[in-house]
Amino acid sequence: MLKDLKRVRNIGISAHIDSGKTTLTERILFYTDRIHQIHEVRGKDGAGAVMDSMELEKERGITIASAATHCEWKGNDVNIIDTPGHVDFTVEVERSLRVLDGVVLILCSVSGVQSQSITVDQQMKRYEVPCIAFVNKCDRSGANPYRVANQLREKLGHNSVLMQIPIGLEDRLEGVVDLITMQAYYFEGDNGETVVVKEIPAELMEEAEEKREIMIDAASMYSDDLTDAILEEKEITEELIVDAVRTGTISRQMTPVFMGSAYKNTAVQPLLDAVLKFLPAPIDIENEAIDLDNNEETVTLTSDFEAPTVALGFKLEDGQYGQLTYIRVYQGTLKKGDTIINSRDGRKVKVGRLIRMHSSEMEDIDEIPAGHIGAMFGVDCASGDTFVSPSVNYSMISMHIMEPVISLSLAPVDNKSQINMSKALNRFTKEDPTFRTYVDKETGETIIQGMGELHLEVYVERMKREYKADVNTGQPRVAYRETITKKAEFNYTHKKQTGGSGQFGRVSGFMEPCEEEFEFTNKVTGGRIPTQFISSCEKGFLSCMDKGPKMEFPVTGVKVTLMDGAFHAVDSSEMAFQAAARGGFLEAYLKAKPVIHEPIMKVVIETPNEFQGSCMGLINQRRGIIQGSQEEGVMSVIESQVPLSEMFGFSTILRSATQGKAQFTMEFAAYKQVPQSVAEDIVKAKEEEKKKN
Amino acid sequence: MLRKDLIPKSPVIQILGKENLEQGRFGVVVSRAGVGKTQFLVQVAMCWLLDGKKTIHISLDDPIDKINVRYKEGYTNLIDSVGYIDPVKANRLWEDIDTCKLGISYNESNFSCDNIREYLTTLKKENLELPAMMVIDGIDFDQDNTVILEEAAKLADDFAISTWFSMKSHREEALTPEGFPPQLDKTKDHFDKALFLSPQEDKIEVVVLKDGDSENKIFLLDPATMMQS
Repeated sequence: MLKDLKRVRNIGISAHIDSGKTTLTERILFYTDRIHQIHEVRGKDGAGAVMDSMELEKERGITIASAATHCEWKGNDVNIIDTPGHVDFTVEVERSLRVLDGVVLILCSVSGVQSQSITVDQQMKRYEVPCIAFVNKCDRSGANPYRVANQLREKLGHNSVLMQIPIGLEDRLEGVVDLITMQAYYFEGDNGETVVVKEIPAELMEEAEEKREIMIDAASMYSDDLTDAILEEKEITEELIVDAVRTGTISRQMTPVFMGSAYKNTAVQPLLDAVLKFLPAPIDIENEAIDLDNNEETVTLTSDFEAPTVALGFKLEDGQYGQLTYIRVYQGTLKKGDTIINSRDGRKVKVGRLIRMHSSEMEDIDEIPAGHIGAMFGVDCASGDTFVSPSVNYSMISMHIMEPVISLSLAPVDNKSQINMSKALNRFTKEDPTFRTYVDKETGETIIQGMGELHLEVYVERMKREYKADVNTGQPRVAYRETITKKAEFNYTHKKQTGGSGQFGRVSGFMEPCEEEFEFTNKVTGGRIPTQFISSCEKGFLSCMDKGPKMEFPVTGVKVTLMDGAFHAVDSSEMAFQAAARGGFLEAYLKAKPVIHEPIMKVVIETPNEFQGSCMGLINQRRGIIQGSQEEGVMSVIESQVPLSEMFGFSTILRSATQGKAQFTMEFAAYKQVPQSVAEDIVKAKEEEKKKN
Repeated sequence: MLRKDLIPKSPVIQILGKENLEQGRFGVVVSRAGVGKTQFLVQVAMCWLLDGKKTIHISLDDPIDKINVRYKEGYTNLIDSVGYIDPVKANRLWEDIDTCKLGISYNESNFSCDNIREYLTTLKKENLELPAMMVIDGIDFDQDNTVILEEAAKLADDFAISTWFSMKSHREEALTPEGFPPQLDKTKDHFDKALFLSPQEDKIEVVVLKDGDSENKIFLLDPATMMQS
């Protein structure tokens, strides 16, 4: 592994589904000599692209888990994380962004900035990841990279600057003009592997000069040297421009735009050059950790190879040889045989086999220095764990994880499946923090929870294929919640003084709605409830939040204020006050007018204009609210909010209503109150279900 | 209750009066770039939204997300002007208001009254509630827009929608003796109501140029919130 960190790049490839991420990665691996034959996603040769290593991904043509891979380009180490494009899997995207230094944002030259690009962009902003854009599919009919660059500016607020212009478009795409070197690039050979540099075609010269001027003007904002050169009319060298664009890109103030067609093997090599020129090396980025021994103060990590090791396990995979943990080292060097500490639980870990991955093939290595990405074998940990040298106790800042919104019950068909299912669930919950599982105490069913229908479907499929766990699934269920809408008082005495040791505790106060999940305030004065019992009261109230007394959904948004109470010198105990608090909660809860809240999803439909009416109708039939629509030539983008419970099977319905021409994405937006009539149905269904059990 | 508290705080109601506002068919807010036309138009739309009526905001410049942010800001400014309000109640009302507004974002090239008519017809066909008020923000009035205004008038009549426009004037252009910017002077007959916003030191001055009874009255707004200062 290269110790000169200026020659290392850790990059991600992010985009909307079907924008050609996997195809682009495949081409990059081909040109960097990591693979010797190109396979297409869903290709006729049945081999599938190398990055889609999971069987299911090959079948569906989507990339579910991010496969990390390593390659070399012009003497530089490039680590690539291929990220999934579907919204249901964004936790994967988020995790990748956490460990990457830069991103290539792929946009389709026909569809432009789509809803998923907006989600990915927000995530990039959250982790402050610099990016360059690649406008792919310029060979497609209707391709317009200029429009896409404008959308990048208008819809995502990027300062997008064209670094190339296309030579021909659609089926006449021949190559690109580089606006820095002012040369034309063509790609010859069976797989476009031979880059031929020629003079710019005469008919494009004027446009190239005009666009170059715009580019230099934009770049000059980030370099005094370049500005001086322009003002003094000196020669503007390639180096001056590259330095300026690089500064602008790394500070996230500028997004250089490249273009081509990965599928037609056009302009992938210049994109690789751009990754080296414009995206940051690990030493260009400041990474921080929390010092757990020092009041959780932030510490800036250095890329010093000799400093104490700090590394983040960002992805787990089950391999032939046990658990494989993908790891990014931020400081120090992780060496084979080292003892490191998992700072989450303080457990000592001995570093065994270290490898560098090329999708499903691996290469053994002895160490992973700071700034690099690799993987280690046989370490029992969860995704997102920080590993450190014993001399420090740091934790990388926790990742932003969303709460699951949908659940599904699972029933294994036989005993063997039951065992395999447990193994699979254990693995999946470690791999993916948005995937959760528990056993319903009342029904004994195993319940899985996740971010959407497809998210859970994929795990059920993986269970069947990878773990041979044959399971029957129930109907997907929505994660409803309850909350109160008004203030209500309680004054409850728990009294049991009939023989044996007695129980006594009185609590009085009120509950009211609040923004937090649960709040507890103690305003008891004069020792009416002794201090040692106050926490028991809080525990008692909190225990009622798991299951609402009326509809049995988890309760949120309740603030309890304890005002007064009473105790008995002998009969009061922690248990008695917990019981009193539970009684008080029940007493006030029904008076506080509880309501059901349901998850509302942001649904974005992209449809040809002629189906706009049908799509709006579909949303309306599903209790959805249309928030707006964006008109873009022949296409419309309808943004809406629809309750999750109404969205089951929507993809089939949308396909049949629009002759398969519309597509949609869905992500969690907020919890909102269920209308009264629907709430009554939910309560009725819940009661019937209870009777059945 | 909260709605009743908020309506009188609206700068638009304070300037034009509620009944008077609802009676007009066509209104326009004129100012030079960056003074706050859109922010003011959001407050105009807010008067209908607070009444529980649907509105539609058509923008030739802003994407949907930005339109949504502008409304949220407008609402927050209105809430802040009342003083303390229970955040749970304020949030609940916002959720109601949020469901009543519909944003449409057009590229300038896609914008036409025919497109809006088609959109409204679709809403009607799908049994969706029709808007009572419409904002059209971003039309370039330096060009001759007589056709658009005539078609918009037909739309307003056919669908019973009050329509408000934004109109950009220019710093260097002189006002007519009546105080009308040239863009408005050419089109003034189309509008029942016309308000002119102009920055004055640390305030925004609203001059009612056309409106039946309150013409030439002057009001001052806080430029940060567009609330009466």
